[in-house]
Amino acid sequence: MTAAALLLPLALLGAAPDAGPLRMLGPRPAGEARRVVTLAPSLTDLVLALGAGERLVGVSRFDERPEVAPLPRVGGFVDPSVEAVVGLHPDLVLVQPGPGNKRPVEAMAELGTPVLLLPLDTVADVLTAERAVGKALGRTEEGERLARRLETARAEVRGRSQRRNPVRALLVFGFDPLVVAGPGGFADELLGDVGATNVAADAGSSYAVYSVERAILARPELIIDAADVPGSKARLRALPGLREARWVSLPDRSLLHPGPALEQGLGQLEALVAPPLPRSEARP
Amino acid sequence: MSGAAFGLVAVQPVRFTPARAVLLLGSLAVLAAVAMSLSVLLGEYRLHLGAALADPTSADARVLFGLRLPRALLGALVGAALAASGSALQALLRNPLADPFVLGVSGGAALGTTLALALGLLAVAGPSLFAFAGAVGAMALVLGAGRARSSPYAALLTGVVFNAFAAAVITCVKTLLTPDQVGEILYWLAGTLGYERLRTLAVAAVIQAVALGVLWRESGRLNLLTLGDDEAASLGVPVRRTRWWVLIAASLSVAGAVALSGLIGFVGLIVPHLLRLWLGPDQRLLVPASALGGAAFLVTADLLTRLLFPLFHAEPPVGVVTAVLGGPLFVWLLHRREGLA
Repeated sequence: MTAAALLLPLALLGAAPDAGPLRMLGPRPAGEARRVVTLAPSLTDLVLALGAGERLVGVSRFDERPEVAPLPRVGGFVDPSVEAVVGLHPDLVLVQPGPGNKRPVEAMAELGTPVLLLPLDTVADVLTAERAVGKALGRTEEGERLARRLETARAEVRGRSQRRNPVRALLVFGFDPLVVAGPGGFADELLGDVGATNVAADAGSSYAVYSVERAILARPELIIDAADVPGSKARLRALPGLREARWVSLPDRSLLHPGPALEQGLGQLEALVAPPLPRSEARP
Repeated sequence: MSGAAFGLVAVQPVRFTPARAVLLLGSLAVLAAVAMSLSVLLGEYRLHLGAALADPTSADARVLFGLRLPRALLGALVGAALAASGSALQALLRNPLADPFVLGVSGGAALGTTLALALGLLAVAGPSLFAFAGAVGAMALVLGAGRARSSPYAALLTGVVFNAFAAAVITCVKTLLTPDQVGEILYWLAGTLGYERLRTLAVAAVIQAVALGVLWRESGRLNLLTLGDDEAASLGVPVRRTRWWVLIAASLSVAGAVALSGLIGFVGLIVPHLLRLWLGPDQRLLVPASALGGAAFLVTADLLTRLLFPLFHAEPPVGVVTAVLGGPLFVWLLHRREGLA
């Protein structure tokens, strides 16, 4: 075995698991899906945005949208209950794939339930998912429209941001330990759109544990708090190199849901990175 | 807490008659069969047994034969492996606290899976293969490095130290992984029964049949070993060879179980202790009785996790249920044995 062959697996250490491309498991659906189960809130958002909310028959236990409050819960991302899903007799199950749910999802497919695996790691993944789910639900045009809207929004935001100086930013998903948006994921791409330079571009993955000392050395000008709980935020905020930064928080979880909500998340991110100047200071 | 206090030593002559063995093992087999039947019949999906048996293409049949039966078989295999190995190891190591994981098997399995996850190998094969490789590797290391033939304590101490070492390496790897990957490994480590394919179950069944067969074959000599090495040797027991066979068979059995289910605690501790209270310390009876009792206990615990689904919108890992049931039961047993209750 060559040294390269030995080093290759080490290079993968810490890299996000390869979710693979969009895939279908189980039997091919006969026509457009009428009874849909989603195993992730982002995918529920997508079905609702396509105007097909009435076709949802089950959602994950992490779903919080009021529209799906009365629906049965079928478990979580890594632990969906195969029986609960199959018992709802869905003709389509929408899944964000991962090593944790591989076996239960395969079991659903083996039992004759059509499953659509939709990785949602990058903006391109989200666009593909919008088009694919639109097609599966017989809402091809709506899916295309959703994808186009996000693409247009990104182009507009990019056009505006090119006229500004880039801001050195750090997007924080959690404080204990420090988890940040690293390179390669949708959060990093949207940061680029709004004219922010991700100072954690050297992190190991798109959702990475990051060293506090590196964060200090990177001297971010803007720190965006996307964490659920404050944890040791106050302690970090007092550190030299971080206390000089402008600290802002996301108004809601739109940026954390890789689906149609990203459009809103992008707007929020732009407002945080480039807050509208007071009228007196605004340049022509 | 001494071995004698927990009734590990076969000091009183125990009458082992085929009639008594058949009666006791038969009743335990019925118990296991009842647990498996309930596990197959009850669950989130409302199963109509008639429809399932009448039409093999119906949804009921698919749930019965595709989900519930394989899961009940998996629970029975893992429960039997953990409890029978626990019983044999407690006698061999003359330690009432010996559980199936003391020989480093748990640390090895967890380390194998964690490394596979970190290196992105889980897309190639499921965690079972890497867990089994890790468990067998740990077993070879512990038995090889620990001079296991010469002293029962050497293997015990090496196993405990290896588990601590593995825990440290796993913690190190976890800090390098992304948080969502860590979530997956934590869920696996907590001990869960999933949905295995029939061919996986068939391989597991062969491994367990061989391993538990060896344990049963050695169980008579194991009885004499509880008296001490010198006494056993004077009674004609090949001490080193017996110890070697029991350690290998128990480790292999536990490696096979851990590979499929993660770390399910207390089954290997509580089931042999309960049965010892009822049947006495004769390993010829305890090893097969523990296998049947362990199967019944784990299948029942798994049924409980599935029935808890409507409450939590999730199935708690079965390892949590066995610990919640097993912890208080063990303390109660201890009080009873020590005459404090």
